[in-house]
Amino acid sequence: MTAAFSLSGIAKRYPHFALQDISLQLPEGQIMGLVGVNGAGKTTLLRLLTGLAAPDAGEVQVLGHRLPEEQVAAKRDIGFASEDMRLYRSQTLRWHMTLVQRIFPAWDETYADELLRRFDLRAEQAVGGFSHGQRVKALLLLCLARRPRLLLLDEPTTGLDPVARIEVLEALSDVLRDEQRSVLFSSHNTHDVEQLADTITFLHNGRLVDSADKESFLDRWRRVVCQGTAPADLQQWPELASVRNSGSLVEIKARHWNEQLPDRLASLGLQVQRVDSMALEDIFVTAVRSGAVA
Amino acid sequence: MDKALQSGRLHYMDHLRALAMLAGVLFHAALAYSPLMQPFFPTADRQSSPLVDVFVWLPHLLRMPLFFTVSGFFAAWIIAHRGPTGLLRQRIRRIALPFIVAWPLVFLAMSAATTWAANHVQHPSPLLRLIHDWQANPDAPSLPPTTAHLWFLYYLLLFGILHWIARTLDFAAPGRWLLRHSPGLLLLGLPLLLTLALASVSAPHPAPEGLLPQFWAILFYGAFFAFGALLYGQPEWLERAKKLLWPLLAACALCYPLFLWQLSMETPSIAAPTASWLVALLEGCLAVWLTVASLLLGRRLLDRPSPIMRYLAQSAYWTYLLHLPLLLLVQYHLMDLSMAWEWKFLLATSVTIAVCLLSYQLLVRHTPLRRFVG
Amino acid sequence: MTNNASIIRLLVAKDWQLFQKQLALYVLAGIVALCLLALAKPWAFYLGSLMLIVVVVAAACFSISASLMVERKEHTLAFVMSLPVSPWDFTIAKLLGNLVTFGVPFLVLCLGTLGTVLFTPLPDGLFVYALLIFGYVLFAYSVALSIAMTVESEGWNTFAMIGSMVLINPFIMGLAQIDAISSQIEQDAIVWSTPAVAILLTQVILSVAVLGFTVWHHARKPAFY
Repeated sequence: MTAAFSLSGIAKRYPHFALQDISLQLPEGQIMGLVGVNGAGKTTLLRLLTGLAAPDAGEVQVLGHRLPEEQVAAKRDIGFASEDMRLYRSQTLRWHMTLVQRIFPAWDETYADELLRRFDLRAEQAVGGFSHGQRVKALLLLCLARRPRLLLLDEPTTGLDPVARIEVLEALSDVLRDEQRSVLFSSHNTHDVEQLADTITFLHNGRLVDSADKESFLDRWRRVVCQGTAPADLQQWPELASVRNSGSLVEIKARHWNEQLPDRLASLGLQVQRVDSMALEDIFVTAVRSGAVA
Repeated sequence: MDKALQSGRLHYMDHLRALAMLAGVLFHAALAYSPLMQPFFPTADRQSSPLVDVFVWLPHLLRMPLFFTVSGFFAAWIIAHRGPTGLLRQRIRRIALPFIVAWPLVFLAMSAATTWAANHVQHPSPLLRLIHDWQANPDAPSLPPTTAHLWFLYYLLLFGILHWIARTLDFAAPGRWLLRHSPGLLLLGLPLLLTLALASVSAPHPAPEGLLPQFWAILFYGAFFAFGALLYGQPEWLERAKKLLWPLLAACALCYPLFLWQLSMETPSIAAPTASWLVALLEGCLAVWLTVASLLLGRRLLDRPSPIMRYLAQSAYWTYLLHLPLLLLVQYHLMDLSMAWEWKFLLATSVTIAVCLLSYQLLVRHTPLRRFVG
Repeated sequence: MTNNASIIRLLVAKDWQLFQKQLALYVLAGIVALCLLALAKPWAFYLGSLMLIVVVVAAACFSISASLMVERKEHTLAFVMSLPVSPWDFTIAKLLGNLVTFGVPFLVLCLGTLGTVLFTPLPDGLFVYALLIFGYVLFAYSVALSIAMTVESEGWNTFAMIGSMVLINPFIMGLAQIDAISSQIEQDAIVWSTPAVAILLTQVILSVAVLGFTVWHHARKPAFY
């Protein structure tokens, strides 16, 4: 199975930010959610994948093409929409659709019309009159209707009202049903990621914190509440992400839960009261705060 | 324009063009025998007749406005059928290229003929005498070149650009509004507008042969071009104007003698180089009414296919390019003969038309030139 | 760098569609200016030639600003870059677009002015003088375009554009100081004095060099960012 994209040993340096030692892969037909706080490097990573930026070190391969040398060939099969992208305000959506249609032979006019209906957009309206949500949906339409093999979306649901958000998520789910297409979308809305993604990647401070499939994450992480007092060196255990004393209770968040952990904790005088699985948002915040790198 | 003729409704437009072209040859030939033009026209013969002045100004007022109206109409037709890029290609092929090639040739031919005439004709016109004296003077400044009778092509190109500007900036709305209402509105309003332009030049209005575009010509001829273009989009205007045909003809029959009489009273001078408001108004009225009347008459009488008219229409462009230098040459040679002016006129026109048509048949009709000037 | 001809054509067509309206206004102003010159009256000549210079300079600034600066400011650049174009295709498309939106009016007005000088009663000595002024506009345009292609800051771009055009005044005054040139203006003959030839050659060579270097520099960029 070909990889939709693969990054190996990527580094990219800017004056006040650096992406370091990123190695990442996405098999075709999968959807990956890229999670990170603002400034973590999501946009930079996406730019590297579209060939808009060239890495200072390492190799980028997208759909079998080396980037940025073969970016033209790669971009023929990529649909990229980012938060800072704008369309030409004085022109209508229909003008943009005609422009994209001329460039991409795979443009599906029927699908485009269907998306117009689902997204509730007027093609003959000038883009300058669109609201933020309509603009995001318009960009998405222009991406989706040309049936790209790889969709790269930078924060597709950020700033959308609940109705628009559902419309976008539904459209993305439809893409998933096609097993040939891959999607990478970045978000700091972990609910969306949880809903859609097969694989989840955490990015923080320009480094890859963790990357695994969703089940793995949910399996590995546990929130453990114990009775007792935690010794100072409990924080050093590699399986534990955070330890918090709260009166007579200790709240532990474990990144690598295993069956032996309760016994090991008991040996330190901590009685396990309950073990809960963690929501992705909680996992993310804990991982970031603990500052650990995968 | 051949393809356009497939659609029956456009026969009369093309036939009007053919007739106007022939009228042009007759008009230019007749100027040599017009007392009014004696001081100004190079082929002014020693024989002239006031009868010429009675008839010749009618085609003058009608011809070029009609040409521009038909051109505007066809420009709109091309945009509708082949898009703006189609129009651009057509303009380059049929107007820009022929203009660039024909202009130096025509200009040189006419200059050579005139220089020859200035030095050899025994009975020169006042203008030829002037040229002769001018050339004898070694210090005489050289005159700037003019576009000669190819000014029509020059202004067509200019109107092409202005047409693009009007489409891009959507200036057509007032025109469309005007054509939606009673035809009387345009028939009364347009002459008033044109009076402004015509009052800034001498009467009868001259040909704008200068290298730089002139406001009055853009306003006057541009109005007809715009009218033609708008007419394509609203052809029912002509239908509504049908009932005004006889009133129009009657009004022209009244205005024309009035115009001639007024013209005879106002000879152009240094003190008053431009036409009076009255003359300008009469010119404007006649130009508009005669053009519309021609369109209506053409629609009624010429709107059926005719092989002869078709041939004349197809050869009209070549005839247009060739006729003036040819006519000058013939008339310069006729100047020393003591024939009656009627015979000279007949000879000049028939020789010119014959040579134009013959050269068209031999050099253009079955050659690659046809795409450009055929 | 392979040339993606069809994409480049589409990009230029896109720019044309976006800027048609403003371009139409400039062409209209240019035609009005030429008509004013045709009136052959002193006030009309002054007004007409002033309008011509304004149109040429405005067309230059508009051309650069609309094609490059506005794209950056409005963030439409990101949209264009997401299409299958390389930085080289993009550079060529912008260059071609600029050649048309600036080059055509510039050439028409330059030739028109020179023709007017030669074929009207104006002294032919104006030919060299006018050519030098047009040469300066060309040079200022090349510099402003190169800076716009290289620098992202809108402030610096505006400064470069307006600054280079405004310097036309000192340039014209400087020309008047050069005896060999200013003395020929009133004469009815075209005289190519050494300073005139030198200045014209410098203008043309520098314009080509500046633009050429910028284009070459952009060609070596592997990616947009």
